[in-house]
Amino acid sequence: MSNKHITIFHGPQHPGITGNMSVELDLIGETIQKATTHVGYLHRGFEKLVERRTVIQAFTIVCRICVPEPDPNEANFAMAVEELAGLEVTPRAEYIRVMVLELSRLAAQFLWMAGQSGSIGLYAVGQWAIADRDLILDLFEELTGARVYHMYIYPGGVRRDLPEGFLGRVSTLLNYMKKRLKEYDDVFINNASFKNRAIGVGVISQEEAIANGYVGQVLRACGVEADVRKDAPYLVYESLDFKVPTQTAGDVYARALVRRAEMDQSVHILEQVVKMMPEGEVMIKMPTHRKFKLPKDDTWVKVESARGEFAYYMAGDGSEKIRRMQVRGPSLVHAYTLLESLLVGAELSDVALIMNSLGICPPEIER
Amino acid sequence: MFSEIKNRFATDDVEVKRKGLYKVVVKHERLFALIVMLKEMYDYKTLNTITCTDWIEEGHFALTYIMTTLKRNETFMLQTMILREEAHTKSLSYLFKQAQIMERDLHEMYGIKFEGNENLKELSLENWVHTPPLRREFDTLEFVNNHLTFRDGRDDNIDTKAESKRLRAIKKAEKEAAKKAKESKKAEDVQ
Amino acid sequence: MKWSVDIQGTLSPLKILGAFFQKPNTIAYPTVKKATATGYRGFHTNLLTDCIGCANCQDVCMNNAIDMVKTDQEYNAKNASQCIPRIDYGRCCWCSLCTDVCPPDSLKLEDDYINVTKYASDFLYMPKNKE
Repeated sequence: MSNKHITIFHGPQHPGITGNMSVELDLIGETIQKATTHVGYLHRGFEKLVERRTVIQAFTIVCRICVPEPDPNEANFAMAVEELAGLEVTPRAEYIRVMVLELSRLAAQFLWMAGQSGSIGLYAVGQWAIADRDLILDLFEELTGARVYHMYIYPGGVRRDLPEGFLGRVSTLLNYMKKRLKEYDDVFINNASFKNRAIGVGVISQEEAIANGYVGQVLRACGVEADVRKDAPYLVYESLDFKVPTQTAGDVYARALVRRAEMDQSVHILEQVVKMMPEGEVMIKMPTHRKFKLPKDDTWVKVESARGEFAYYMAGDGSEKIRRMQVRGPSLVHAYTLLESLLVGAELSDVALIMNSLGICPPEIER
Repeated sequence: MFSEIKNRFATDDVEVKRKGLYKVVVKHERLFALIVMLKEMYDYKTLNTITCTDWIEEGHFALTYIMTTLKRNETFMLQTMILREEAHTKSLSYLFKQAQIMERDLHEMYGIKFEGNENLKELSLENWVHTPPLRREFDTLEFVNNHLTFRDGRDDNIDTKAESKRLRAIKKAEKEAAKKAKESKKAEDVQ
Repeated sequence: MKWSVDIQGTLSPLKILGAFFQKPNTIAYPTVKKATATGYRGFHTNLLTDCIGCANCQDVCMNNAIDMVKTDQEYNAKNASQCIPRIDYGRCCWCSLCTDVCPPDSLKLEDDYINVTKYASDFLYMPKNKE
């Protein structure tokens, strides 16, 4: 190799994404010639662990698969188990699930905003976003008893009913958010320094995005109106009114605009859920954990997480344990197939910016 | 479409799992032809994932290829069985770019060889020399006992079932002893 | 890269300076403490007058965090095994499945969650005897 080349490791600790993942970059000057993703800093063997546990015991582990947004994992797990075992959830539990999922989507988007602004040096926006995310975590603490790993959406319903006056506090927060989100437009989305850095960087074409199985904002920013909540509605999303925001440019800025518009949609959905929340039980009666058995069958369930389609494959074998559970999040394909090709030709200073806009979450690559 | 798939490829009927989710079990040698047909003729443009289930009792792996249409409202699960011993199959990376990394993942976790995939290096495990970890014969508990240490000071754990049995036996013995003592006392009183 | 003057995009971020005149979101932590929400999943408590020593909590715990041990404390007469649970906080994940399966509802989680210690052996935690 000539002495023009330098090889550096971007990561595993770096400002690009939440979690540990490194990208090996071959550079000439500041331009990237080749990028290779390396994972293996977080492997915890969840897919193996659930095979050793009873269904109910396995429930406590799935939220740990993705740190920034544990709830889509819980919802997927619960829905897969319910579909295999043939359980029906009460309407109130379904509405509460939608509320938790949308709150967690909002929280995850704030965390993304903190990371995205941090990756170009706008640290004040990051501080704001983290503070506003904390307000949502306060609600989670009250509802579920924990701030990050809620362990709340349980096969058969949800674990607790809403505390007294909770919906009122959600409404108060939503009113605050509606005002607050506009301020983010001023300081971040319309910020000239962000626009100059993000427009035209990390462009993905529509054909490539569809063929290679990219999901979420990556797909929507190239003009594909893909959202699991519309395409294959689950829970009560069919009866809710919301739009799927799209952009056509396919670059980092388009993905940021899509995410920002989704935050408005989440607030809009939450307002409807608060109004429509029915009364009733939140949990059906479940057998004890060693008596709860899944039939020999398999299924595929998916929900829309804050970063795109999040799916589980689950197979039971007639015993009280799960035979196989495979997690299919956006990250594996985004971090390898997409990131490795997208970084070729990019500048070194844009690596963190591009990585963050793809919504990669390393804990979910290694499960 | 379903009858065509059944006649040409499948061993069983196409199963409708729920609205928009279909599953079919196909012979291994017809699988790739079916994937091409779905992709070219029926709009199943996206490969979502490849997953593997280990049915160790029956001696095979169930590989499931999951594909979604362009409109994203219909999903097909194509399942095929391959032998566990020296498991191998053809790679799909010439058709779908993302299959490369999914196959690399499965190769690491199950030891399945994908012929035609040029990069099957280890993904997240480093210098792994044991059985591929997601195979059923790999015992995690044994691995942990051999390789890790446990916290001291937890030896005083008591098996509650045995303990309550023992306590019940003691109580019973005590009761009986008391009864006996009472009877013998009665006998003494009579005398 | 092409440069064009974006006046609005340059001036509007200056609104962030307005935050100087707002009340801070943070609190002065050691002196001011935030109240923990009721129902927070913190440390375990076990009401000994109710505990029946059934070891359901030990059975459901997938992390093997619970030991059933004897102590010199006074127990409930209905406690068949005369044992009570002790929790290894090096393993516990605060999922609260143990409190869900407790038949007399004696095992609970309280809102206290701070334990500062020099010794790793203090991770073996005996639940407080209270409701």
